[in-house]
Amino acid sequence: MALPPSLRTSITPPELELVASEQLVEIIPLVSMERTAFISGAYGPLRPPTKCKVPLWMASNLKLKKKCHLVPPPWLEVDFLQEKLTQETTSPSFSEMPFRFAEIAKILLDVASDDLPNHERIRTLLKDIREARQAKSREGLSKLDHNELLLHNLCAMEINEIRPFFVRGMGVLTQLTRESANNNNNNNMDQTL
Amino acid sequence: MASWDDDFNTFMGADARPSESFIDRARAAPDDDDDVDMGDDPGVPRHAGPAHVAVLGQDVAEETAFQQLIRHWMNERHSPDILPGQEMLLGRILDHVRKQSNDVELLRADPDSSEEEHFRIMLVQTEIERVKFVVRSYIRTRLHKIEKYARHISSTPDVHGRLSKAELEHANRYSRLVEYHFKQSVLQSLPEQQRSLEENIVFMPPMVPSPDMQRPVIARALVDCPPMRLPDGTATEMKKGEISMTPYHVVEHLLLRGEVELV
Repeated sequence: MALPPSLRTSITPPELELVASEQLVEIIPLVSMERTAFISGAYGPLRPPTKCKVPLWMASNLKLKKKCHLVPPPWLEVDFLQEKLTQETTSPSFSEMPFRFAEIAKILLDVASDDLPNHERIRTLLKDIREARQAKSREGLSKLDHNELLLHNLCAMEINEIRPFFVRGMGVLTQLTRESANNNNNNNMDQTL
Repeated sequence: MASWDDDFNTFMGADARPSESFIDRARAAPDDDDDVDMGDDPGVPRHAGPAHVAVLGQDVAEETAFQQLIRHWMNERHSPDILPGQEMLLGRILDHVRKQSNDVELLRADPDSSEEEHFRIMLVQTEIERVKFVVRSYIRTRLHKIEKYARHISSTPDVHGRLSKAELEHANRYSRLVEYHFKQSVLQSLPEQQRSLEENIVFMPPMVPSPDMQRPVIARALVDCPPMRLPDGTATEMKKGEISMTPYHVVEHLLLRGEVELV
């Protein structure tokens, strides 16, 4: 019953999606519902057409049953993403994005693409941003040492993507440093002898 | 017919007075979780709760019990060593799950429930499944580490405090079982001096596997952190929201105090 081997090394993207689904999004409900207590808090009441904040898992559940419209978050629209893409391609550092933007954008594009104006364009922009950022994180590998690597503004999904390789790389560097320190000590001892 | 609101009142705990309206109690509900003193989580400073403010307007105001569990689950998944178990938190969440499931059962058995209620049942059940998944994955992650490091755990008293009674018992029994198996199947037929399970041979990994404290982890600061010492001897500080990849032993004390989370 221990954790299956496939999950032992790292967290998987579907699990990250599950974590991201706990975040609140705005919906316009199409059905009414009294305020209801859930384990993560009380949500509602749903009164169409008043906007209401519910967790993403509930929103996508309602959306799949055609019982609400999703209000896209302010960062998931063409102008904002276009500007981000320009930042990403002109500046060498990562621009600031919501920590779980990839997961949230994926869920919203999967279940509620009809609520996103210009969703095709959004999809392309997200892909471009992802590629620009991916190129940078690969370049970041050259900065890897045995000490510390600052991953400024990286997002959950990107971290998870680079994790296996970077962790191994840093592990090897740690080993090499330790060994060379040992060798130096040995050399010093040889000299004193 | 039991109405939903009556049933849901029971979720709010015994301290909800009957004179309050359901909505008042519902509003009070999420706070309850945060008011409870986390006896199982002594390292987390009380102000660390709302520190989870995310960028660009996604606000996570207060950390609810379930969000705390998700954080501990993620930490456990990413850290090489076994972390202090969150028994109290788990207990509270499991009680909550039990209450929700009982009420769902009651309402499902009721033939008069309306379509709206079916709908609420469906949502409540969806959440129960989500919570159960995280609880299971958390426990299984710990179980994996316990079995992997069983002999290290049972021989290191420092680690015992981090495990629950059942976990510790399992670790001891599991390591005895493995030792017995090794003895029975192979070791007893070997010459006397080669039967030990704790030989330290140069250039070979130790025979008792222990957590790799050097393994790099990726930590995100939940608050402004005090300085930490890097392996090369320099000191550095993490500001709130910064993400850093560094060997586990560097951030271990910050993680135990709840000042960083592993991502």
